Amino acid sequence: MENKIETILKAAKEEIEKTTKEADLMNVKSKLLGKSSEMSALLSSLKDMPIEDKKKYGSLINNAKKEIEEYVTNHLASLESKSNITFDDTIDYDVKKGSLHPVTIVGKEVTDLLRKMGFTIVSGPEMETEYYNFEALNVPKNHPARDMQDTYYLDNGMLLRTQTSDNQIHAMEKYGAPLRICAPGRTFRNEDMDAGHETTFFQLEGMVIDKNISIENLLYTVRSLVREILKQDVEVRLRPGFFPFTEPSFEMDVSCTICGGKGCPTCKNSGWVELVPGGMVHPNVLRAGGIDPNEYTGFAFGFGLTRLAMMKYKISDIRLLNSGDVRFLEQFNIK
Amino acid sequence: MLISCNKLKTHIKNSEDIDFLKIWDKFTIRTAEVEDVKVVGNNIDGVVVAQIVDCKEHPDSDHMHVLMVDYGEKEPIQVVCGAPNVRKGLKTCFVKVGGHIDGIEIKPRPLRGVVSNGMCCSGRELGISDNHEGILELPDDYPVGKDIKELWPIDDIIVEIDNKSLTNRPDLWGHYGIAREVAAITEHELLPLEIEEIKNDKEDLDIVIKNPELCYRYCGLTVENIKNNTTPMDMQIFLYYAGMRSISLLVDLTNYLMLELGQPMHAFDKRVVKSLEIGLAKDGDTYTTLDGVERKLTGDNLMIKNGDKYFAIAGVMGGLDSEILSDTDSLFLESATFDPGSIRKTAISLGLRTEASARYEKSLDPNMADLAIKRFVYLLHKENKDMKITSNLTDVYPTKLEEGHISLTKRKLAIYMGKTLEDNVVKNILERIGFQVEIKDDTYEVVVPTFRHSKDVNIEEDLIEEVSRFYGLENFGPSPLCLELSSKEQDKVYNEEYEVKYLLANKYDMNEVHSYIWYDTNMLKQLGVQKDGVKLLGKEQNNILRDDLPFSLLNIINNNLKNFNALRVFEIATTIVNNQNERHLAVIYADDEKNIERVYNEAKNTIKTIFNNLKNLNVVFKDSALEKDYYVNTLGKTIMVNDIALGSLNVLNKACTNKIAKKKVIIMIDIDFDKYVNLEVPDIKVKEISKYPCVNLDYTIVAKKDTKYSYISEVISSFKNKFINSSHLVGVYEDDKNKKYTISFNVGSNEKTLTQEDLTKFKDKFINHIKENALEIIE
Repeated sequence: MENKIETILKAAKEEIEKTTKEADLMNVKSKLLGKSSEMSALLSSLKDMPIEDKKKYGSLINNAKKEIEEYVTNHLASLESKSNITFDDTIDYDVKKGSLHPVTIVGKEVTDLLRKMGFTIVSGPEMETEYYNFEALNVPKNHPARDMQDTYYLDNGMLLRTQTSDNQIHAMEKYGAPLRICAPGRTFRNEDMDAGHETTFFQLEGMVIDKNISIENLLYTVRSLVREILKQDVEVRLRPGFFPFTEPSFEMDVSCTICGGKGCPTCKNSGWVELVPGGMVHPNVLRAGGIDPNEYTGFAFGFGLTRLAMMKYKISDIRLLNSGDVRFLEQFNIK
Repeated sequence: MLISCNKLKTHIKNSEDIDFLKIWDKFTIRTAEVEDVKVVGNNIDGVVVAQIVDCKEHPDSDHMHVLMVDYGEKEPIQVVCGAPNVRKGLKTCFVKVGGHIDGIEIKPRPLRGVVSNGMCCSGRELGISDNHEGILELPDDYPVGKDIKELWPIDDIIVEIDNKSLTNRPDLWGHYGIAREVAAITEHELLPLEIEEIKNDKEDLDIVIKNPELCYRYCGLTVENIKNNTTPMDMQIFLYYAGMRSISLLVDLTNYLMLELGQPMHAFDKRVVKSLEIGLAKDGDTYTTLDGVERKLTGDNLMIKNGDKYFAIAGVMGGLDSEILSDTDSLFLESATFDPGSIRKTAISLGLRTEASARYEKSLDPNMADLAIKRFVYLLHKENKDMKITSNLTDVYPTKLEEGHISLTKRKLAIYMGKTLEDNVVKNILERIGFQVEIKDDTYEVVVPTFRHSKDVNIEEDLIEEVSRFYGLENFGPSPLCLELSSKEQDKVYNEEYEVKYLLANKYDMNEVHSYIWYDTNMLKQLGVQKDGVKLLGKEQNNILRDDLPFSLLNIINNNLKNFNALRVFEIATTIVNNQNERHLAVIYADDEKNIERVYNEAKNTIKTIFNNLKNLNVVFKDSALEKDYYVNTLGKTIMVNDIALGSLNVLNKACTNKIAKKKVIIMIDIDFDKYVNLEVPDIKVKEISKYPCVNLDYTIVAKKDTKYSYISEVISSFKNKFINSSHLVGVYEDDKNKKYTISFNVGSNEKTLTQEDLTKFKDKFINHIKENALEIIE
C-alpha cells in the first residue's frame, strides 16, 4: 500500500510539473484528486480493511492528497509568477488636453491668494450705468475719463464699464462695512488696438473697509499679494498717483524682477515697474456706498489681470488673448 | 513737460546746495513721475566768441568762403565756412581746434584743398535752436575770445515729467510751481517772482464777461511804444530746451510766462482791439483760427469777441486778424481764467489741443492771472526801457476764488498714517508747501493757498495726502490687516464659473476662448444674419452687443477651422438680452458632418455631466423649436432642470454652416449661467444598501429602424419589478433592418439572495413585457 501511494504521488508530481498553463494544471488537479482519481479509488478500497489499517492507510492517503494539493498550489504560484503576457507595450498615444484661458489661470491664482487673506470674490455687470461707473466713484462730469474716446457709451443710456471699480459700490451696497472684497472681471476701453492695447481686457479690483484702515495696511496687502504672485521677495514702493476714487492715491511700483532693482531696459533703468494703482477710498465713494467716512476708512487697488497674464507667460501681443486662436490657447493646458 | 534746471535755480534761494541730477528720484516719489533726466551742453566745449576779420571766396567752391577769424589768440586763423551769411566784421560762435560739437572733436582738415582750423557754427550745431540757415550772429559788444558758455546758459539739465502724473496739479504746469515743489522737498526757500506793480491811474479797458460761469476772470492791459522785439539769448535757449521755438520777443514772452507760471497769455495787436466780450458762439458760425483752418462753431464754444467779430477761441487759439505782426509796437495783453470743462470740450470738439488748452483743462488758479501780466510787463520793460503802459490793469473778476479753510482731524490723520505724528512735524510739512497751519487740540486748522485750492486740495483727505507725501512714502512700513475670524458670505459666481471651466477643459479636453461682447459685423454679413440689440455709440463696425453667446463665437470657429478639422471650445461671458446683463455658458462643437450623431450625443452627455457632477441634478431634454432661424428646428432641445428652462442645445443650420465650412456640423450649447448659479444643490439622499449580492442582467432588445430610443426607454421604465435597483443603456447596434439596444439591469433584494428561480421569473416577465409592447428580444 505504501508503495502504491508513493508511486501515485511521484507520478502526480511529475504530471503537475509538466503543466505550463493554469487551465492544464486545473485539469490535472481534478484528475489527480477528483472522484474518479486513483487516490479516490485507493481511499474507497479501504472500506474492506481492518480498522487499524483503515486508520493507518487513511491518514497516509489523506496526507498524500494534501501533499498533492500543496504541490498544485505551489506550482500554480510558480506558473503565475512566470506568466508572460505579451503585447506591444511601447505604443504611446497622445494624452488629449483641454486648456483654460491664461487670464482664467492667473485670475484663479490671484483670487485664491486673496481668498486666503479673507477676501470675498464678487462679480459685477459689464454693461453698467454711468452712476456706478463714474458718478458714485467720484468721477465728475467733464472728467477726461468720461470722454467718448475712452468710454464705450451705448444707445440705451448705459455704457460698458471702463474699470472693475464699479464693484466697490455694488459691494458696499450689498455687504456694508466692514468689507473685504475682490472683483475680477472684463473691462472695456474705446481704444485703437495694437500689440499693447486692447478694447477688452481684465482687471481685478480689491477693496477693504474697516475701522482704522491705514496706508500701511494697503502697502502690506499689496506687497504680500505681489510677492505671492511673482513668487519673489520683491519690494513695493508707493508713489503719488491720482485717481478720483481714492485720496490719497498711489501708484505702487514693484522692484524690477529682471534686474532686481539695479536698472535695466525693462524698467527703463529706474529699478521699478509700475504695477498696481490704488489708494485710500475717497470719502465721497464711501458715502455713495452708504458708509460713514468718519467711522470707517478703507483702501482699494486694481490689478491688470491681462497684464499679469502677459507678464507671467511672456506674451508680447495682447491681441492674441481675445483672438480665440486655439493654436495659441491650447498651450495653456492644466495638469 | 520739459523742465530746465537752470530756470528752477533762479527761483530757489541757495539753489547751489541742491544736486539737480539726484533730486529727481525723490521728486518721483514725492510729487510726480520723472521720465527722463538729460544733461545738455556737456558735449560742447571750446566754443568762443570770434570775429571774422577777412572773408574771401573759396577758389574751388561756389558757396564756401575762406575766412580769417580772430578768436582771441595772437594771430587770426584760417577757417573755411559754407554758411551764406559770412561777412567781414561779423561776430559769431567759433569752435576751436580741439573743441567739441555734439561730442565730436574738431580737427584741422582741408575743405576742397583749403585747410580749415576750426568751425563757425549755427544755432542747431550748438544745440540751442533749430536754426541752421547760417552761422550765429552775435551782438557787437560780445568780447572776442570769451567762452560762449560763460555768456549763455548752454549747460543745463532737462527733466521730462510725465504729463499724466500732473493731471491733478494745475500748479505744476509751470517752472515756478515745480521750483516750489523742489524747494519744499529739499527744504529750501522759494524766491518771489520779480514783477512790475502797475499803477491804476488810467482808463479801464472795455471788457465784458457774458458767461461768468465759463470765464472766471479776465485781465487786460495795453502797452505801447515797443521798439525792441528781439528775445534775449538766455530766454531763447530756455524756450528751445523747454520744447518751444523762439519767434519774437512779444510772442516769446507769452510762451515764457506760460512755461514759467503755467498761465497761458495772449498778446493781441492793440491797433485792432476795440472792445472785448467773452461769451458763447452762435451755433453754426464759422471762424478761421491762426493756423488758417476754418472751424465750425457750436453754442458750447466760448469765444472772445472784438466789437461784434470773433477774435479768438477762448483758451484754445487766436485768429488771423488778432495776430502779432512784425510791425506791432503796441499790445493788448490778455491773461484770463476759463472753466476747465468748457475749454476741454471745445478743444476736443474742434480737434485743437493746444499748450494753452491743456493747461486750462487742469483748473488754473485765477489769482495768478494778474500776476502774469505784472511779470510780463517787468520782463518786457527790461528789453524796452521806453515802453509805456497806456491803460489800467483792467480786471474783470466776478467771483473771487478765496483760500481754502480745512480742519484736519488729528485722529483721522493718525488712522490713515498708521501712526501719530508730532504737531510740529505736520505744521512744518504743510508750511513748506505754502499752507498756513494753526494747531488746535484735536485738529489742525489749515489755510490752503488758491494755487492748490483751485482743484486738488479741498478736503481733509487731500491734506492727508500732502502730509504723507512729505513725511515720505518710503517711510511707511507694511502693517498686516487684522482678520476677523468669522465666516463671510461668499459670492458663488466666480467659483461656479471656474468649476465648470475646469470640468470642460479637463474632462472633455475643450479649449476656453475669450471673445468680444459685440458681434463681429463681418461675420454676420458672411452668415447673412441680421442682428439687432443695444448698440455702441459712434461706431459703425462691431457695434451690436451680442444677445446669443454661442452664435457670437462663430467667428472664432470660422477662424479655427482653417487650422483644425474638429474643435470644441467654450466660454462663460456676458450677453445683453432685453437690455439686461446675462451671464451665459457657451460650448461649441465643430466636427465632420458624418459624426453628427456622435457629437450631438457627446454634447448631451456633457450637459448632463455638468448638472449631475456639479449640481447633483438631472437634466431633461425637451424638444423645442427656437425662434432663431439659423438653427435646425427639429434638433433643438431645451435643457430642463427642476422644470426650469436652463438653456438649449442646437445645431447650426446647413446654410450657415456651409458659409463657414463645407461638410461640417456645428453644435452649440447655451446655458443661462445666472440661473445655473441659483440652482440649489440637493442633499445626497443615501439609500440603504442590501446585505445580499445583486446581479447584472443584460438584454438586447430589437426594434424597427425608425423606432426612437425614447419609446424603448418608456417601455423599460413601465416595467415594474421590486427587484430592479437600476437600469441603463449599454449600447446601440444597427443592421440593415433593425436597431438593437442592449439594456443592463441591476437586480437584487434587501431580504435575500435571489435564487435561480427568482431570476428566471424576472426574465420571463421582462420578455413578456417587451413582446407586449411590440418589440423583440434576443434571449
